Amino acid sequence: MIQEKYTGRYQNLKVAEALSNNHLYPFACNELSSIIDLGYSRFPKDLKAFIFRDCLSAFRLLPDINTSAAVSAANLLVKSIESAFPKQKKNVAVVEFKQAKVALKRRSKSHDELIDMPSLPQDILVHIFSFLDVSSLLSSSQVSRSWNQATCEGSLWRSLFDLHFSHKVLIHIHSGIDWREAFKNEYILYNSSKMLRSGRGYCSFCDSVVWHESLRCPKKQCRLKSGKKPLDLMLTHQVVNYLLGTTSSSDESDSEDEAVCGLWAYPTLQ
Amino acid sequence: MSEADMAIIKPEMMMKSYIWLETADGSIQQVEQEVAMYCPMICHEVLQKGLGAGSSKNCAISLPQRVNPAMLSLILDYCRFHQVPGRSNKERKVHDEKFIRMDTKRLCELASAADSLQLKPLVDLSSRALARIIEGKTPEEIREIFHLPDDLTEEEKLEPLKNLMDDPRIRLLNRLYAKKRKELKEREKLKGKEVEERVDERSVDDLLSFINGKDHKVVKTSKSKKKNKKRKEHKNKVSHNLHSKQQGTQSVVDETASSLGGVSNLPSIEDDIFSLKTDSEDGYMDDGMDPALREMLDREVEDFARRLNSSWVLSSGQERQPVHFSINGNGATRRLTAIDD
Repeated sequence: MIQEKYTGRYQNLKVAEALSNNHLYPFACNELSSIIDLGYSRFPKDLKAFIFRDCLSAFRLLPDINTSAAVSAANLLVKSIESAFPKQKKNVAVVEFKQAKVALKRRSKSHDELIDMPSLPQDILVHIFSFLDVSSLLSSSQVSRSWNQATCEGSLWRSLFDLHFSHKVLIHIHSGIDWREAFKNEYILYNSSKMLRSGRGYCSFCDSVVWHESLRCPKKQCRLKSGKKPLDLMLTHQVVNYLLGTTSSSDESDSEDEAVCGLWAYPTLQ
Repeated sequence: MSEADMAIIKPEMMMKSYIWLETADGSIQQVEQEVAMYCPMICHEVLQKGLGAGSSKNCAISLPQRVNPAMLSLILDYCRFHQVPGRSNKERKVHDEKFIRMDTKRLCELASAADSLQLKPLVDLSSRALARIIEGKTPEEIREIFHLPDDLTEEEKLEPLKNLMDDPRIRLLNRLYAKKRKELKEREKLKGKEVEERVDERSVDDLLSFINGKDHKVVKTSKSKKKNKKRKEHKNKVSHNLHSKQQGTQSVVDETASSLGGVSNLPSIEDDIFSLKTDSEDGYMDDGMDPALREMLDREVEDFARRLNSSWVLSSGQERQPVHFSINGNGATRRLTAIDD
């Protein structure tokens, strides 16, 4: 009976779906790694089969995703597999992984010639950026000069602030407010990087662990009900606990005492 | 009977009205009115200039520059589908998903063109698609896809981005790098002043004789002079080296950087380590840097190199081979292992 519970919960987690999503792929791989690391030996046979299947599809999808974040995540997954899987399954998985690496290499070799790209006007850039999450927005700010200028747009940071912190922080809005700074301060204060690392949240309206979209439940009804309030974000080990039905408080190996800042440089050098 | 005739005749006699549009390159085409009117900009033009506008080839409505003929036909296809009132939301969604599948270049053009025609739904659609492409990628990857130049200085890349997936050890390294960088910068400033002073003292002749490696006699007697010149030459070279090495190593280092998931600090620190080594290893140098400090810096650099190796090996990655830093004869650090190609 208990065994079925595991499998059922795993299905609910919808890890496999996330693998085909470009953005969620690294999150999903990391979650798989954690699940394997923390509980593989205890799982019933059918759950082990599901996990095995998902690992294989992760490797098969890797060439399509083809970002460095995805490659790193896949590497981590292979490491977990190597230490936990029985010999035969391990070999199959590793072979799949190696094939993926070869496919990746082949793709990177076929580079298109220098294409003359049209330059996007600033307000279009800002509009595009309005759909991005924090991490991607910061990446974009480092791409080129014109993109960097576009990312300085206050409205972008204001809506991110609203998204992440408005339910927690009452802020006096004066005319000259620098929303980017305000966001940054709250982000560091609330140690947001840690919570965002899993890509997971708990939705109380549908009572499930979901891959959050902009901190909201992907289901429309839940979004309507919750209004402005974001999901409760979850750490990966909490997700694993949910799967295993345990309540261990063991935190991830990284000690966050020093590294409070995540995305921003630690401002010690002033 | 006559009524039936009329009924048959009427629709045939009904003329579909067309609007003439002219793109920036001069080509003119005609479009069904209801399709073209779906674009707010065209609509406004027609209303503003009166009903005569766009009614014939001669007074075609000229479209903004960003709309080329290819984009125009795409946009008109979009309009043609959506202006039909009878379609369900789901139909429209399905159509849009298919419609938006195109390469990045065309997506950019489409977004531009739609924006200049004020066709907001299409602007949203293309912007979202572009956002999906950008999501989760490192700056280098984005630059590659959009063919954008890397024209920001290190200072402007103010706050280093760390991938959310990052290993905490990498974060620690980043912070140490940032510290290092600052120290090195301050020292650069000090040295910069000294170099400027010395350059003035040398004459062109001295330089020439040194370069040509002339008279042995001259060499013998002025050995000490030569040493001085060497020192000065070397100092001057340092700034050149820094620059050229920066260019040279950028591509190599960028690969590593991206494999680390966007540790954009890395390239600059590599260069700083290079420069640090060329400075401190040069025995002639006596620029006021006391040996204790130099020793400490040497130790820190080696510590870094060790940390780099160990953390990269420890954290994920069969493909991340440890990059070995070694100090070879002339005092410059060199990467031994190339990155996995």
